[in-house]
Amino acid sequence: MAISEPLVEFLGFFLEPLAPFMPGHTFPAFFELEMFHRALIAAFLVTIVAGFYGSFLLMRNLALMGDGLAHVSFGGVAIGIVLGAAAPLWYALVFSVIAAIMIHELQERELLTGDASIAIFLTGMLALGLVVLRIWGGGITSDIEGYLFGNLLLIDYEDLDLILIVCVLSLGSLFFLHDALLATTIDAVAARVQGLPVRWIGLWFSVTIAAIVVSMVQVIGTLLVTALLVTPAATAQLVGKSYRSCIIWTQVFGISSVILGIYFSSELETGSGSMIALISAIIFGIVLIGRSIYNQKTNNLNP
Amino acid sequence: MVEFLPQPLRGDYLSNQTLSPKIIWSATVVSIEGLNVIRSGKLVLENVNLEISKGEFVGIVGPNGGGKTTLLMTILGILQSSKGKIEVFGSNPYPTNFRGEVGWVSQTAANIPTKMRMTVRELITMGTVSRIELWPFSIHSKEKRERIEKAMELTGISHLADKDISRLSGGERQRAVIGRALASDAEVLIFDEPLVNVDRNARNGILKLLDKLCHEQEKTLLLVSHDMAAIRQSAHRVVYLDGGIQYDGHPDNLPDLIDLAGLRGIQHVHQTDDQEEE
Repeated sequence: MAISEPLVEFLGFFLEPLAPFMPGHTFPAFFELEMFHRALIAAFLVTIVAGFYGSFLLMRNLALMGDGLAHVSFGGVAIGIVLGAAAPLWYALVFSVIAAIMIHELQERELLTGDASIAIFLTGMLALGLVVLRIWGGGITSDIEGYLFGNLLLIDYEDLDLILIVCVLSLGSLFFLHDALLATTIDAVAARVQGLPVRWIGLWFSVTIAAIVVSMVQVIGTLLVTALLVTPAATAQLVGKSYRSCIIWTQVFGISSVILGIYFSSELETGSGSMIALISAIIFGIVLIGRSIYNQKTNNLNP
Repeated sequence: MVEFLPQPLRGDYLSNQTLSPKIIWSATVVSIEGLNVIRSGKLVLENVNLEISKGEFVGIVGPNGGGKTTLLMTILGILQSSKGKIEVFGSNPYPTNFRGEVGWVSQTAANIPTKMRMTVRELITMGTVSRIELWPFSIHSKEKRERIEKAMELTGISHLADKDISRLSGGERQRAVIGRALASDAEVLIFDEPLVNVDRNARNGILKLLDKLCHEQEKTLLLVSHDMAAIRQSAHRVVYLDGGIQYDGHPDNLPDLIDLAGLRGIQHVHQTDDQEEE
């Protein structure tokens, strides 16, 4: 039995009574059927975790890292599919974690600057995935499209197990390492002088990001991972005044993007991943415009 | 035991004090002998000898590429020496193994707010993190809160505690970063160009703060700066670094730049031009 099954059953108990209150024709089904419960739970889990870690990616100027690792994970998925794996995401996890460690070491040893090492892994592994699929896997099928652009409805219990394990481990470790990670992010030299193991914290962060990205692949797709990882955190920077408030705003924007994205994708029959990504970008745009108008007004008041 | 005694301190600021040799010995914070440091295949520091005692305010000056930051990084244990002996609090600092005894205020620290939103209090709290602790319980420790409040009080930014650092002036931001280093309860504070991006009033305020930290809080300060006037005004002792130590003594006796260039056998640029004209 899948370890995530009791969780789905338990949460389903609370989701079902909400169905009659939900708007739209198809959207209420997400609260009625078990298969949709899986999708909803997976989407919420990865959004919460991505929100916490996305803020750090942004602060560390590593917004591209999520994108790079997502492309690497696609290479892993392709190889998993060709080898006939039931859950190719586990292959993706292995590939992404190895790539994250290598990118971290390349940066740490100053062999390549951050962006260059990410770009090389990004394109290299995506290309590997495409070539492998073309030769042995019969090209891009609808299954594979699910990994590229995300398809919530394809999430089965095995995938949800992976998502659940990754989310629990990454949130659990953040609980211990949060302060140390923040201190390291602000000023690595000062953190090192204060006695923090900066290098190990960086390595743990890279590996955890790799795992989180893989857990997000089916929800939002390898091409769109940045939408949930970075966009809500970037939107929060526009409205938050403190670190704490930014963390809260990130969750607000992330969860709203997911709810609205799933609603519109089910009603308009579009892909869930692309709709979530689009909504998060629209929210960013609206907040940005609102912020500019507010800034202009306050500047006019206090010239 | 005589061989463990440091070289006599140069400069006259301690001359009226009658410290016994033993006290001076125990008060040595940084001890460097014959230090060479190689960076990217280039010998940046050569045969550096330096002894810094508790409570000293040492200004480090010198041209760009003269090895000022390299010296600081070696003291912090981030760079390894290729030759010679270096001891900070009696042991080799490499690789960095402090537990909050040393506070670091970096040149880039003033750029922090471009990366994130954060209040002054949140920033200073980060100075208290010296080991892995369960979040968010760590924030609520009484002892830590007191240290944070004390750091804000000392740096004179208590009234800005809940303000976003991106909204602060250059001087206020620099104070916040100094506050973070103080929150770790450091005995030694090391500053890399704390006076850049700071206007004249704020500069004087920060110099007063450094003076207070040295004389009232008995902190040992190491200050790298291009601001010669500031160094002359506040430091007890000045070290001129250009590949090695060219001068070490009281700021008042610091030779002018032409003489310092002469120390290394380099003719001053203007002199060369004049000679060519002749």
